[in-house]
Amino acid sequence: MLLRANQLTKDYGSFRALDQLDLEIAPGEIFGLLGPNGSGKSTALRLLMGFMRPTAGSASIAGHDCWHDSVRARRNVGYLPGELRLYENMTGRQLVRFLGQLHGQDGTERVDRLAQVFDIDISRPIANLSSGMKRKVALLQVLLPQTPVLILDEPTNTLDPTMRDVLMKQLVEARNRGQAVLFSSHVLTEVERVCDRVGILQRGRLVHLQKLAELHEVRRIRATFAEPSEAMPNLPGVDGAVRNGREWTCEYDGPLPEMLAWLVAHKVEDLRIEPLGLAGIYHQYHGAEA
Amino acid sequence: MTRVLVLKLLRDVRWGLVIVSVLLCLFQLLWAKVTDRIAAPDQLLESFLQLGLSVDDIRKRLFSGPGQIVQALMGGESIRIERALDMISISYVHPLTQIILCVWAIGRAAGAIAGEIDKGTMELLLAQPVARSKVIAAHLVVDAITIPILCLSMWLGTWIGVAILGFLNHADPNLQVNPWRFGPALLNVALLVFAVSGLTMWISSMGRFRWRVLGVAVLVALVMFLVNVIGQIWDPASPLRPATIFYYYQPQPMILQDEWFKQAVVWERLGVLLAVGSGGYLLAWWTFCKRDLPAPL
Repeated sequence: MLLRANQLTKDYGSFRALDQLDLEIAPGEIFGLLGPNGSGKSTALRLLMGFMRPTAGSASIAGHDCWHDSVRARRNVGYLPGELRLYENMTGRQLVRFLGQLHGQDGTERVDRLAQVFDIDISRPIANLSSGMKRKVALLQVLLPQTPVLILDEPTNTLDPTMRDVLMKQLVEARNRGQAVLFSSHVLTEVERVCDRVGILQRGRLVHLQKLAELHEVRRIRATFAEPSEAMPNLPGVDGAVRNGREWTCEYDGPLPEMLAWLVAHKVEDLRIEPLGLAGIYHQYHGAEA
Repeated sequence: MTRVLVLKLLRDVRWGLVIVSVLLCLFQLLWAKVTDRIAAPDQLLESFLQLGLSVDDIRKRLFSGPGQIVQALMGGESIRIERALDMISISYVHPLTQIILCVWAIGRAAGAIAGEIDKGTMELLLAQPVARSKVIAAHLVVDAITIPILCLSMWLGTWIGVAILGFLNHADPNLQVNPWRFGPALLNVALLVFAVSGLTMWISSMGRFRWRVLGVAVLVALVMFLVNVIGQIWDPASPLRPATIFYYYQPQPMILQDEWFKQAVVWERLGVLLAVGSGGYLLAWWTFCKRDLPAPL
Protein backbone atom coordinates (compact mmCIF):
# COMPACT_ATOMS: atom_id res chain seq x y z
CA MET A 1 0.00 0.00 0.00
CA LEU A 2 1.30 3.46 -0.84
CA LEU A 3 -0.75 5.27 1.74
CA ARG A 4 -1.90 3.88 5.04
CA ALA A 5 -3.73 5.41 8.02
CA ASN A 6 -4.02 3.37 11.15
CA GLN A 7 -6.48 4.52 13.84
CA LEU A 8 -5.49 8.08 12.91
CA THR A 9 -6.98 10.52 15.42
CA LYS A 10 -6.72 14.26 15.94
CA ASP A 11 -8.16 16.31 18.78
CA TYR A 12 -8.28 20.11 18.88
CA GLY A 13 -8.59 20.63 22.62
CA SER A 14 -11.72 18.75 23.61
CA PHE A 15 -13.00 18.59 20.03
CA ARG A 16 -12.25 15.39 18.12
CA ALA A 17 -11.76 16.38 14.50
CA LEU A 18 -10.74 12.94 13.26
CA ASP A 19 -11.64 9.71 14.97
CA GLN A 20 -9.68 6.50 14.40
CA LEU A 21 -9.40 6.69 10.64
CA ASP A 22 -8.31 3.45 9.00
CA LEU A 23 -7.47 3.80 5.35
CA GLU A 24 -5.31 2.12 2.72
CA ILE A 25 -4.73 3.28 -0.82
CA ALA A 26 -2.92 1.16 -3.38
CA PRO A 27 -0.81 2.26 -6.35
CA GLY A 28 -2.99 2.99 -9.36
CA GLU A 29 -6.04 3.81 -7.28
CA ILE A 30 -8.10 6.98 -6.99
CA PHE A 31 -9.74 7.37 -3.61
CA GLY A 32 -12.35 10.02 -2.93
CA LEU A 33 -12.91 11.37 0.55
CA LEU A 34 -16.41 12.75 0.98
CA GLY A 35 -18.11 14.64 3.73
CA PRO A 36 -19.61 18.01 4.52
CA ASN A 37 -17.62 20.94 5.94
CA GLY A 38 -16.15 20.07 9.32
CA SER A 39 -16.36 16.32 8.80
CA GLY A 40 -12.58 15.92 9.09
CA LYS A 41 -11.50 15.66 5.44
CA SER A 42 -8.91 18.43 5.54
CA THR A 43 -7.69 17.33 8.97
CA ALA A 44 -7.08 13.83 7.58
CA LEU A 45 -5.18 15.19 4.59
CA ARG A 46 -3.13 17.61 6.71
CA LEU A 47 -2.19 14.78 9.09
CA LEU A 48 -1.03 12.75 6.11
CA MET A 49 1.10 15.71 5.02
CA GLY A 50 2.76 15.87 8.45
CA PHE A 51 1.49 19.37 9.17
CA MET A 52 0.14 18.18 12.51
CA ARG A 53 1.07 15.56 15.05
CA PRO A 54 -1.66 12.92 15.44
CA THR A 55 -3.26 12.69 18.87
CA ALA A 56 -3.32 8.92 18.41
CA GLY A 57 -2.69 6.43 15.67
CA SER A 58 -0.33 6.85 12.76
CA ALA A 59 -0.13 7.29 9.03
CA SER A 60 2.49 6.42 6.46
CA ILE A 61 3.21 7.21 2.83
CA ALA A 62 5.41 4.83 0.85
CA GLY A 63 6.34 3.23 4.17
CA HIS A 64 7.47 6.47 5.82
CA ASP A 65 5.69 7.73 8.92
CA CYS A 66 3.91 10.99 8.10
CA TRP A 67 5.00 12.74 11.31
CA HIS A 68 8.27 11.15 12.41
CA ASP A 69 9.68 10.67 8.91
CA SER A 70 7.73 13.46 7.32
CA VAL A 71 10.33 14.67 4.81
CA ARG A 72 10.73 11.24 3.23
CA ALA A 73 6.97 10.79 3.21
CA ARG A 74 6.48 14.17 1.50
CA ARG A 75 9.13 13.34 -1.08
CA ASN A 76 6.53 10.90 -2.43
CA VAL A 77 3.63 13.33 -2.40
CA GLY A 78 2.24 16.12 -4.52
CA TYR A 79 -0.18 18.15 -2.40
CA LEU A 80 -2.78 20.72 -3.30
CA PRO A 81 -4.07 22.60 -0.24
CA GLY A 82 -7.73 23.43 0.14
CA GLU A 83 -7.05 27.03 1.13
CA LEU A 84 -4.65 27.97 -1.59
CA ARG A 85 -1.98 30.62 -0.91
CA LEU A 86 0.90 31.14 -3.31
CA TYR A 87 3.95 33.41 -3.34
CA GLU A 88 2.40 36.46 -4.92
CA ASN A 89 5.76 38.04 -5.75
CA MET A 90 6.63 35.26 -8.20
CA THR A 91 5.44 34.41 -11.67
CA GLY A 92 3.83 31.04 -12.26
CA ARG A 93 7.02 29.78 -13.88
CA GLN A 94 9.19 30.97 -10.99
CA LEU A 95 6.90 29.27 -8.49
CA VAL A 96 6.85 25.98 -10.36
CA ARG A 97 10.64 26.08 -10.73
CA PHE A 98 11.17 26.96 -7.05
CA LEU A 99 8.91 24.19 -5.76
CA GLY A 100 10.32 21.77 -8.31
CA GLN A 101 13.83 22.48 -7.07
CA LEU A 102 12.71 21.76 -3.53
CA HIS A 103 11.39 18.45 -4.82
CA GLY A 104 14.78 17.85 -6.39
CA GLN A 105 13.25 17.86 -9.86
CA ASP A 106 13.59 20.20 -12.77
CA GLY A 107 10.77 19.17 -15.08
CA THR A 108 11.08 22.29 -17.22
CA GLU A 109 10.25 20.36 -20.37
CA ARG A 110 6.87 19.28 -19.05
CA VAL A 111 5.98 22.68 -17.58
CA ASP A 112 5.06 24.26 -20.88
CA ARG A 113 3.16 21.23 -22.10
CA LEU A 114 1.15 21.01 -18.88
CA ALA A 115 0.60 24.79 -18.87
CA GLN A 116 -0.84 24.41 -22.35
CA VAL A 117 -3.13 21.61 -21.17
CA PHE A 118 -4.42 23.83 -18.37
CA ASP A 119 -4.54 26.85 -20.67
CA ILE A 120 -2.51 29.11 -18.41
CA ASP A 121 0.09 31.79 -19.01
CA ILE A 122 2.76 31.02 -16.42
CA SER A 123 4.84 34.07 -17.29
CA ARG A 124 2.34 36.34 -15.50
CA PRO A 125 2.89 37.40 -11.87
CA ILE A 126 0.76 35.31 -9.55
CA ALA A 127 -0.54 38.47 -7.86
CA ASN A 128 -2.29 39.34 -11.13
CA LEU A 129 -4.03 35.99 -11.56
CA SER A 130 -7.66 35.15 -10.71
CA SER A 131 -8.31 32.53 -8.03
CA GLY A 132 -9.10 29.93 -10.71
CA MET A 133 -5.86 30.67 -12.53
CA LYS A 134 -3.92 30.47 -9.27
CA ARG A 135 -5.42 27.04 -8.67
CA LYS A 136 -4.28 25.98 -12.11
CA VAL A 137 -0.71 27.10 -11.31
CA ALA A 138 -0.89 25.14 -8.06
CA LEU A 139 -2.18 22.08 -9.90
CA LEU A 140 0.68 22.42 -12.32
CA GLN A 141 3.24 22.18 -9.53
CA VAL A 142 1.37 19.22 -8.00
CA LEU A 143 1.13 17.22 -11.20
CA LEU A 144 4.55 18.06 -12.59
CA PRO A 145 6.84 15.94 -10.36
CA GLN A 146 4.76 12.75 -10.94
CA THR A 147 5.13 11.69 -7.33
CA PRO A 148 3.82 8.24 -6.33
CA VAL A 149 1.00 9.84 -4.30
CA LEU A 150 -1.20 12.83 -5.05
CA ILE A 151 -3.20 14.40 -2.22
CA LEU A 152 -5.67 17.02 -3.35
CA ASP A 153 -7.96 18.96 -1.03
CA GLU A 154 -11.05 19.98 -2.99
CA PRO A 155 -9.04 20.39 -6.20
CA THR A 156 -11.87 21.54 -8.44
CA ASN A 157 -12.82 24.54 -6.29
CA THR A 158 -12.92 27.71 -8.41
CA LEU A 159 -12.20 25.77 -11.63
CA ASP A 160 -14.54 26.19 -14.58
CA PRO A 161 -16.31 23.06 -15.96
CA THR A 162 -13.82 22.66 -18.80
CA MET A 163 -10.86 22.72 -16.45
CA ARG A 164 -12.62 20.31 -14.11
CA ASP A 165 -12.79 17.88 -17.00
CA VAL A 166 -9.12 18.48 -17.79
CA LEU A 167 -8.17 17.85 -14.18
CA MET A 168 -10.24 14.66 -13.96
CA LYS A 169 -8.53 13.43 -17.11
CA GLN A 170 -5.13 14.20 -15.58
CA LEU A 171 -6.07 12.22 -12.46
CA VAL A 172 -7.10 9.24 -14.55
CA GLU A 173 -3.77 9.48 -16.42
CA ALA A 174 -1.97 9.60 -13.07
CA ARG A 175 -3.80 6.46 -12.00
CA ASN A 176 -2.85 4.77 -15.25
CA ARG A 177 0.79 5.62 -14.53
CA GLY A 178 0.46 3.84 -11.20
CA GLN A 179 0.16 6.91 -8.99
CA ALA A 180 -2.19 6.78 -6.02
CA VAL A 181 -4.60 9.70 -5.78
CA LEU A 182 -6.46 10.79 -2.67
CA PHE A 183 -8.77 13.72 -3.00
CA SER A 184 -11.54 15.30 -1.06
CA SER A 185 -14.55 16.87 -2.65
CA HIS A 186 -18.11 18.01 -2.23
CA VAL A 187 -18.96 17.31 -5.84
CA LEU A 188 -20.34 13.79 -5.95
CA THR A 189 -20.56 13.54 -9.74
CA GLU A 190 -16.85 14.13 -10.27
CA VAL A 191 -15.94 11.72 -7.48
CA GLU A 192 -18.22 9.11 -9.01
CA ARG A 193 -16.68 9.69 -12.41
CA VAL A 194 -13.06 8.99 -11.58
CA CYS A 195 -12.76 7.30 -8.19
CA ASP A 196 -12.19 3.62 -7.65
CA ARG A 197 -13.24 3.83 -4.02
CA VAL A 198 -14.80 6.44 -1.80
CA GLY A 199 -14.93 6.97 1.93
CA ILE A 200 -17.59 9.03 3.63
CA LEU A 201 -16.66 10.94 6.76
CA GLN A 202 -19.21 11.99 9.34
CA ARG A 203 -18.10 14.05 12.34
CA GLY A 204 -14.55 12.78 12.01
CA ARG A 205 -15.44 9.10 11.61
CA LEU A 206 -15.17 7.09 8.43
CA VAL A 207 -18.71 5.73 8.29
CA HIS A 208 -18.76 4.18 4.83
CA LEU A 209 -16.26 2.68 2.39
CA GLN A 210 -17.51 1.95 -1.08
CA LYS A 211 -16.01 0.45 -4.20
CA LEU A 212 -17.45 2.38 -7.11
CA ALA A 213 -17.43 -0.71 -9.35
CA GLU A 214 -19.76 -2.44 -6.90
CA LEU A 215 -21.91 0.63 -6.69
CA HIS A 216 -22.35 0.72 -10.46
CA GLU A 217 -23.74 -2.83 -10.41
CA VAL A 218 -26.55 -1.83 -8.04
CA ARG A 219 -29.72 -0.38 -9.52
CA ARG A 220 -32.48 1.48 -7.83
CA ILE A 221 -35.88 0.30 -9.03
CA ARG A 222 -39.06 2.35 -8.56
CA ALA A 223 -42.25 0.73 -9.75
CA THR A 224 -45.91 1.72 -9.63
CA PHE A 225 -48.35 -1.20 -9.76
CA ALA A 226 -51.91 -1.24 -11.00
CA GLU A 227 -53.24 -2.36 -7.61
CA PRO A 228 -52.01 -2.15 -4.00
CA SER A 229 -50.29 -5.35 -2.96
CA GLU A 230 -47.95 -6.73 -0.33
CA ALA A 231 -46.13 -9.00 -2.80
CA MET A 232 -42.31 -8.95 -2.72
CA PRO A 233 -39.97 -10.61 -5.22
CA ASN A 234 -38.19 -13.64 -3.86
CA LEU A 235 -35.01 -12.93 -5.84
CA PRO A 236 -31.39 -12.82 -4.69
CA GLY A 237 -29.87 -9.31 -4.80
CA VAL A 238 -32.93 -7.40 -3.60
CA ASP A 239 -32.14 -5.02 -0.78
CA GLY A 240 -33.99 -2.31 1.08
CA ALA A 241 -37.36 -2.98 -0.54
CA VAL A 242 -40.13 -0.63 0.60
CA ARG A 243 -43.77 -1.01 -0.35
CA ASN A 244 -46.14 1.89 0.06
CA GLY A 245 -49.56 1.16 -1.44
CA ARG A 246 -49.04 0.93 -5.18
CA GLU A 247 -45.50 2.38 -4.99
CA TRP A 248 -42.53 0.07 -4.57
CA THR A 249 -38.80 0.79 -4.41
CA CYS A 250 -35.74 -1.39 -3.88
CA GLU A 251 -32.02 -1.69 -4.61
CA TYR A 252 -31.12 -4.61 -6.82
CA ASP A 253 -27.81 -6.08 -8.02
CA GLY A 254 -29.14 -9.36 -9.51
CA PRO A 255 -29.85 -10.28 -13.14
CA LEU A 256 -32.30 -7.88 -14.73
CA PRO A 257 -34.45 -10.29 -16.84
CA GLU A 258 -35.70 -12.12 -13.74
CA MET A 259 -36.68 -8.90 -12.06
CA LEU A 260 -38.42 -7.62 -15.16
CA ALA A 261 -40.36 -10.88 -15.43
CA TRP A 262 -41.55 -10.54 -11.85
CA LEU A 263 -42.57 -6.93 -12.38
CA VAL A 264 -44.57 -7.75 -15.51
CA ALA A 265 -46.28 -10.59 -13.69
CA HIS A 266 -47.44 -8.13 -11.02
CA LYS A 267 -49.04 -5.68 -13.49
CA VAL A 268 -46.55 -2.82 -13.34
CA GLU A 269 -47.89 0.47 -14.67
CA ASP A 270 -44.79 2.65 -14.43
CA LEU A 271 -41.15 1.73 -13.98
CA ARG A 272 -37.86 3.53 -13.42
CA ILE A 273 -34.54 1.69 -13.24
CA GLU A 274 -31.42 3.75 -12.57
CA PRO A 275 -27.93 3.18 -11.19
CA LEU A 276 -27.95 3.64 -7.43
CA GLY A 277 -25.17 6.28 -7.59
CA LEU A 278 -23.09 7.86 -4.92
CA ALA A 279 -25.72 10.40 -4.01
CA GLY A 280 -27.99 7.68 -2.68
CA ILE A 281 -25.30 6.46 -0.28
CA TYR A 282 -23.99 9.91 0.64
CA HIS A 283 -27.44 11.17 1.56
CA GLN A 284 -27.96 8.21 3.88
CA TYR A 285 -25.36 9.91 6.08
CA HIS A 286 -25.56 13.56 5.18
CA GLY A 287 -28.95 14.09 3.54
CA ALA A 288 -31.80 15.96 5.18
CA GLU A 289 -33.26 12.64 6.35
CA ALA A 290 -29.98 11.63 7.99
CA MET B 1 17.79 22.47 -0.87
CA THR B 2 18.76 24.99 1.82
CA ARG B 3 20.51 26.96 -0.94
CA VAL B 4 17.26 27.16 -2.92
CA LEU B 5 15.43 28.35 0.17
CA VAL B 6 18.14 30.87 1.05
CA LEU B 7 18.09 32.33 -2.46
CA LYS B 8 14.32 32.68 -2.28
CA LEU B 9 14.48 34.35 1.14
CA LEU B 10 17.21 36.74 -0.03
CA ARG B 11 15.07 37.60 -3.04
CA ASP B 12 12.18 38.38 -0.68
CA VAL B 13 14.22 40.76 1.48
CA ARG B 14 16.39 42.36 -1.18
CA TRP B 15 14.60 45.72 -1.39
CA GLY B 16 14.24 46.02 2.35
CA LEU B 17 17.92 45.23 2.72
CA VAL B 18 18.88 47.90 0.21
CA ILE B 19 16.71 50.53 1.95
CA VAL B 20 17.97 49.73 5.45
CA SER B 21 21.59 49.60 4.28
CA VAL B 22 21.28 52.99 2.57
CA LEU B 23 19.60 54.46 5.67
CA LEU B 24 22.38 53.21 7.93
CA CYS B 25 25.06 54.47 5.57
CA LEU B 26 23.42 57.89 5.24
CA PHE B 27 23.00 58.24 8.98
CA GLN B 28 26.70 57.58 9.60
CA LEU B 29 27.49 60.12 6.92
CA LEU B 30 25.13 62.62 8.50
CA TRP B 31 26.65 62.04 11.91
CA ALA B 32 30.14 62.76 10.57
CA LYS B 33 28.71 66.09 9.41
CA VAL B 34 27.19 66.70 12.85
CA THR B 35 30.61 65.99 14.36
CA ASP B 36 32.14 68.46 11.95
CA ARG B 37 29.61 71.14 12.97
CA ILE B 38 30.40 70.64 16.65
CA ALA B 39 34.10 69.86 16.90
CA ALA B 40 35.73 71.35 13.81
CA PRO B 41 37.58 74.69 14.02
CA ASP B 42 35.30 77.78 13.93
CA GLN B 43 32.31 75.66 14.78
CA LEU B 44 30.04 75.25 17.78
CA LEU B 45 32.51 74.01 20.37
CA GLU B 46 35.04 76.70 19.56
CA SER B 47 32.33 79.36 19.89
CA PHE B 48 31.66 78.16 23.45
CA LEU B 49 35.35 78.07 24.24
CA GLN B 50 35.70 81.65 23.05
CA LEU B 51 33.10 82.63 25.66
CA GLY B 52 35.60 81.54 28.29
CA LEU B 53 34.04 78.15 29.07
CA SER B 54 36.25 75.09 29.31
CA VAL B 55 35.26 71.77 27.74
CA ASP B 56 34.56 70.38 31.22
CA ASP B 57 32.28 73.34 31.97
CA ILE B 58 30.36 72.73 28.79
CA ARG B 59 30.03 69.04 29.59
CA LYS B 60 28.84 69.75 33.13
CA ARG B 61 26.18 72.17 31.87
CA LEU B 62 25.07 70.00 28.99
CA PHE B 63 24.91 66.72 30.87
CA SER B 64 23.42 67.73 34.21
CA GLY B 65 19.77 67.16 35.10
CA PRO B 66 17.75 66.02 32.08
CA GLY B 67 20.98 66.18 30.05
CA GLN B 68 21.99 62.94 31.80
CA ILE B 69 19.65 61.09 29.46
CA VAL B 70 21.49 62.57 26.48
CA GLN B 71 24.82 61.58 28.02
CA ALA B 72 23.54 58.04 28.62
CA LEU B 73 22.37 57.79 25.02
CA MET B 74 25.73 59.12 23.79
CA GLY B 75 27.61 56.36 25.53
CA GLY B 76 28.30 57.65 29.05
CA GLU B 77 30.76 59.87 30.85
CA SER B 78 33.88 58.67 29.06
CA ILE B 79 32.92 60.32 25.75
CA ARG B 80 34.91 63.50 25.04
CA ILE B 81 32.99 65.91 22.86
CA GLU B 82 36.11 67.73 21.69
CA ARG B 83 37.44 64.56 20.03
CA ALA B 84 36.08 63.72 16.58
CA LEU B 85 36.60 59.97 17.05
CA ASP B 86 34.50 60.00 20.24
CA MET B 87 31.83 62.10 18.57
CA ILE B 88 31.58 59.89 15.49
CA SER B 89 31.46 56.78 17.70
CA ILE B 90 28.20 58.14 19.14
CA SER B 91 26.48 57.29 15.85
CA TYR B 92 27.05 53.60 16.59
CA VAL B 93 25.01 53.79 19.81
CA HIS B 94 22.62 56.50 18.66
CA PRO B 95 18.98 55.46 19.26
CA LEU B 96 18.19 55.95 15.58
CA THR B 97 20.90 53.47 14.58
CA GLN B 98 19.64 51.00 17.15
CA ILE B 99 16.05 51.50 16.01
CA ILE B 100 16.94 50.90 12.35
CA LEU B 101 18.88 47.76 13.26
CA CYS B 102 16.07 46.46 15.48
CA VAL B 103 13.38 47.24 12.92
CA TRP B 104 15.29 45.17 10.40
CA ALA B 105 15.88 42.24 12.78
CA ILE B 106 12.35 42.21 14.19
CA GLY B 107 10.62 42.79 10.86
CA ARG B 108 12.48 40.02 9.09
CA ALA B 109 12.30 37.43 11.87
CA ALA B 110 8.62 38.11 12.60
CA GLY B 111 7.81 37.32 8.99
CA ALA B 112 10.03 34.24 8.92
CA ILE B 113 7.64 31.77 10.56
CA ALA B 114 4.50 33.55 11.78
CA GLY B 115 4.43 35.70 8.65
CA GLU B 116 4.52 32.68 6.36
CA ILE B 117 1.85 30.93 8.43
CA ASP B 118 -0.22 34.12 8.40
CA LYS B 119 0.00 34.38 4.62
CA GLY B 120 -0.67 30.65 4.23
CA THR B 121 2.52 30.06 2.25
CA MET B 122 4.15 27.96 4.97
CA GLU B 123 1.75 25.15 4.07
CA LEU B 124 2.83 25.39 0.44
CA LEU B 125 6.48 25.28 1.48
CA LEU B 126 6.11 22.38 3.90
CA ALA B 127 4.10 20.41 1.37
CA GLN B 128 7.45 19.96 -0.36
CA PRO B 129 10.07 17.60 1.10
CA VAL B 130 11.58 20.37 3.23
CA ALA B 131 12.49 19.68 6.85
CA ARG B 132 11.31 22.31 9.30
CA SER B 133 14.84 22.46 10.68
CA LYS B 134 16.04 23.47 7.21
CA VAL B 135 13.60 26.37 7.17
CA ILE B 136 15.15 27.64 10.40
CA ALA B 137 18.65 26.94 9.07
CA ALA B 138 17.89 28.90 5.90
CA HIS B 139 16.86 31.92 8.00
CA LEU B 140 20.06 31.58 10.00
CA VAL B 141 22.06 31.66 6.77
CA VAL B 142 20.10 34.71 5.61
CA ASP B 143 21.01 36.44 8.88
CA ALA B 144 24.63 35.44 8.34
CA ILE B 145 24.54 37.11 4.92
CA THR B 146 22.40 40.19 5.57
CA ILE B 147 23.78 41.28 8.95
CA PRO B 148 27.35 41.74 7.65
CA ILE B 149 25.92 43.73 4.73
CA LEU B 150 24.18 46.08 7.20
CA CYS B 151 27.37 46.39 9.25
CA LEU B 152 29.49 47.10 6.20
CA SER B 153 27.05 49.74 5.00
CA MET B 154 27.43 51.48 8.38
CA TRP B 155 31.17 51.31 8.08
CA LEU B 156 30.99 52.61 4.52
CA GLY B 157 29.01 55.62 5.76
CA THR B 158 31.66 56.28 8.40
CA TRP B 159 34.47 55.98 5.84
CA ILE B 160 32.80 58.33 3.38
CA GLY B 161 31.94 60.86 6.10
CA VAL B 162 35.41 60.83 7.60
CA ALA B 163 37.03 61.17 4.17
CA ILE B 164 34.74 63.89 2.83
CA LEU B 165 34.91 66.05 5.95
CA GLY B 166 38.68 65.89 6.23
CA PHE B 167 38.99 63.92 9.50
CA LEU B 168 41.18 61.33 7.86
CA ASN B 169 44.44 63.26 8.03
CA HIS B 170 43.51 66.27 10.13
CA ALA B 171 46.41 68.31 11.54
CA ASP B 172 44.75 68.51 14.97
CA PRO B 173 45.15 65.10 16.69
CA ASN B 174 41.79 65.65 18.41
CA LEU B 175 40.10 65.81 15.04
CA GLN B 176 41.96 62.95 13.44
CA VAL B 177 39.86 59.86 12.82
CA ASN B 178 41.05 56.49 11.63
CA PRO B 179 37.99 54.64 10.23
CA TRP B 180 39.69 51.27 10.69
CA ARG B 181 39.07 51.67 14.41
CA PHE B 182 35.35 51.20 13.76
CA GLY B 183 35.89 47.74 12.20
CA PRO B 184 35.98 45.66 15.41
CA ALA B 185 32.89 47.47 16.73
CA LEU B 186 30.92 46.05 13.82
CA LEU B 187 31.16 42.69 15.57
CA ASN B 188 29.14 44.16 18.44
CA VAL B 189 26.67 45.67 15.97
CA ALA B 190 26.29 42.33 14.17
CA LEU B 191 25.75 40.42 17.40
CA LEU B 192 23.11 42.89 18.60
CA VAL B 193 21.14 42.37 15.38
CA PHE B 194 21.65 38.61 15.68
CA ALA B 195 20.41 38.60 19.28
CA VAL B 196 17.27 40.60 18.41
CA SER B 197 16.72 38.38 15.37
CA GLY B 198 17.11 35.18 17.40
CA LEU B 199 14.70 36.33 20.08
CA THR B 200 12.13 37.43 17.50
CA MET B 201 12.57 34.17 15.59
CA TRP B 202 11.63 32.29 18.75
CA ILE B 203 8.51 34.40 19.25
CA SER B 204 7.73 33.98 15.55
CA SER B 205 8.04 30.20 15.76
CA MET B 206 5.26 30.17 18.36
CA GLY B 207 2.99 32.61 16.57
CA ARG B 208 0.34 32.47 13.91
CA PHE B 209 -0.06 36.14 13.03
CA ARG B 210 2.80 38.36 11.89
CA TRP B 211 1.42 41.57 13.41
CA ARG B 212 0.98 39.96 16.80
CA VAL B 213 4.58 38.72 16.76
CA LEU B 214 5.75 42.17 15.65
CA GLY B 215 3.84 43.77 18.51
CA VAL B 216 5.26 41.43 21.14
CA ALA B 217 8.83 41.68 19.81
CA VAL B 218 8.72 45.48 19.57
CA LEU B 219 7.33 45.70 23.10
CA VAL B 220 10.07 43.43 24.46
CA ALA B 221 12.80 45.40 22.65
CA LEU B 222 11.37 48.75 23.72
CA VAL B 223 11.11 47.74 27.37
CA MET B 224 14.69 46.43 27.32
CA PHE B 225 15.95 49.61 25.68
CA LEU B 226 14.21 51.86 28.21
CA VAL B 227 15.33 49.77 31.18
CA ASN B 228 18.92 50.03 29.93
CA VAL B 229 18.71 53.82 29.54
CA ILE B 230 16.93 54.38 32.86
CA GLY B 231 19.42 52.08 34.56
CA GLN B 232 22.23 54.40 33.44
CA ILE B 233 20.73 57.51 35.00
CA TRP B 234 18.89 56.08 38.00
CA ASP B 235 20.98 53.89 40.30
CA PRO B 236 18.16 51.78 41.81
CA ALA B 237 17.35 50.54 38.28
CA SER B 238 20.94 49.79 37.32
CA PRO B 239 20.89 46.13 38.51
CA LEU B 240 18.21 45.50 35.88
CA ARG B 241 20.46 46.55 33.01
CA PRO B 242 22.23 43.19 32.58
CA ALA B 243 18.79 41.64 31.98
CA THR B 244 18.52 43.62 28.74
CA ILE B 245 20.38 42.82 25.55
CA PHE B 246 21.16 46.52 25.00
CA TYR B 247 23.40 46.46 28.07
CA TYR B 248 25.71 44.18 26.11
CA TYR B 249 25.73 46.52 23.14
CA GLN B 250 28.71 48.76 23.89
CA PRO B 251 30.73 49.22 20.72
CA GLN B 252 32.41 52.46 21.82
CA PRO B 253 35.18 50.87 23.93
CA MET B 254 36.05 48.76 20.89
CA ILE B 255 36.39 51.96 18.85
CA LEU B 256 38.03 54.24 21.39
CA GLN B 257 40.36 51.98 23.33
CA ASP B 258 43.53 50.71 21.73
CA GLU B 259 43.68 47.42 23.58
CA TRP B 260 39.98 46.66 23.88
CA PHE B 261 40.62 43.02 23.00
CA LYS B 262 42.52 42.53 26.25
CA GLN B 263 39.42 43.33 28.29
CA ALA B 264 37.47 40.27 29.32
CA VAL B 265 34.31 42.32 29.77
CA VAL B 266 34.21 43.18 26.06
CA TRP B 267 34.34 39.50 25.13
CA GLU B 268 31.72 38.71 27.78
CA ARG B 269 29.35 41.21 26.21
CA LEU B 270 29.92 39.76 22.77
CA GLY B 271 29.47 36.26 24.17
CA VAL B 272 26.16 37.11 25.80
CA LEU B 273 24.75 38.55 22.57
CA LEU B 274 25.95 35.52 20.64
CA ALA B 275 24.38 33.23 23.24
CA VAL B 276 21.06 35.11 23.16
CA GLY B 277 20.91 34.95 19.35
CA SER B 278 21.92 31.30 19.22
CA GLY B 279 19.56 30.44 22.07
CA GLY B 280 16.71 32.18 20.27
CA TYR B 281 17.39 30.22 17.11
CA LEU B 282 17.64 26.94 19.04
CA LEU B 283 14.35 27.59 20.80
CA ALA B 284 12.78 28.58 17.46
CA TRP B 285 14.01 25.33 15.93
CA TRP B 286 12.70 23.25 18.84
CA THR B 287 9.32 25.02 18.91
CA PHE B 288 8.77 25.01 15.16
CA CYS B 289 9.69 21.34 14.75
CA LYS B 290 7.23 20.29 17.46
CA ARG B 291 4.23 22.49 16.71
CA ASP B 292 1.16 21.85 14.60
CA LEU B 293 0.89 23.94 11.48
CA PRO B 294 -2.47 25.71 11.61
CA ALA B 295 -4.60 25.82 8.49
CA PRO B 296 -4.58 29.16 6.67
CA LEU B 297 -7.46 31.43 7.60
